[in-house]
Amino acid sequence: MMEELAKVPWAVIAPLIVVQLILMIVALVDLRKIHATNGPKILWVFIIIFANLIGSIAYFIVGRRQS
Amino acid sequence: MRGFSVLLQKEFREAWRGWKFLWIPLVFALLGMNDPLTNYYMMDILKAVGNVPEGFEMLIPELMPVDLLQASIGQFQTIGLLIMMATFVGSISKERASGMATLFYIRPISFSAYFLSKFIVMSTVSFISILAGFTASVYYTSILYGTLDIGSLLASFFTYYIWLLFVIAVALMMSASFKTVIATTCAFTLIFLGQIVDMIVGIFWTVSPWKLASYGTLLIRGTMDMSDYWWSLSTTAICTIICISIGIVMMKRNASMVKI
Repeated sequence: MMEELAKVPWAVIAPLIVVQLILMIVALVDLRKIHATNGPKILWVFIIIFANLIGSIAYFIVGRRQS
Repeated sequence: MRGFSVLLQKEFREAWRGWKFLWIPLVFALLGMNDPLTNYYMMDILKAVGNVPEGFEMLIPELMPVDLLQASIGQFQTIGLLIMMATFVGSISKERASGMATLFYIRPISFSAYFLSKFIVMSTVSFISILAGFTASVYYTSILYGTLDIGSLLASFFTYYIWLLFVIAVALMMSASFKTVIATTCAFTLIFLGQIVDMIVGIFWTVSPWKLASYGTLLIRGTMDMSDYWWSLSTTAICTIICISIGIVMMKRNASMVKI
């Protein structure tokens, strides 16, 4: 298992994972702070976590309700 | 230009609170990383997912660094523009629909200042975005393939930025002229249909704003006819200014569309 992990070219993959994680965390933080969303809040939590990249982008475009 | 700095501050704060300065650049960075990575690991991806038969050999063309930048720009042109226009196209019409615009329109502000403050904030967001996108793409390209010449890279970057300014101006003009739904349709049609038309019959002309994105990579390749380039650049700049002026006029005229 550890050998497999060591074989992964981390210098190449790491930025990709970091960017994805930041996007997800920002979306979740915003979801925590925002008053109301389009559609139920709990649904957006699942979308952001499980549809990792598309989910957070979709949240920022259509999920935030401007009041 | 009364209250320009106040309006600019308000727009910046709004974009900041909406995390626009963070998530749009991140999306562009991801788009930029995408192409160099998938092209480099194409054989591994094929082995991992697609039942490649025994003894199967495929000739993958030798890619130059500029090819990958071109592929990344292609990503920005479709998904990137889609996201950018979807976030920006409602900025005036949504304010009218939600009634928030009443709070501004009853004050003695100048419409051109309001419009320009929106335009400036959006162009800042898009500048940071394509900076992130180009950086990510060039970073991966230089690790995996080879380096690019910095001077022509900058030229291509700013060429692409001019094109983005045009896109933003179109989106804002539509937003000032129509309701959100119609504005979205019109802006998307104009930008994407223009790209398709340019792709199909574009060989018959050399000067148009839609060609700028591909001219950026031609600059790096060094096969660009410079007079065509300057003509396209100035046409785009003039179109941008015209779109901004129409937008300001329409914003003033549609001030009565505000829902109270």
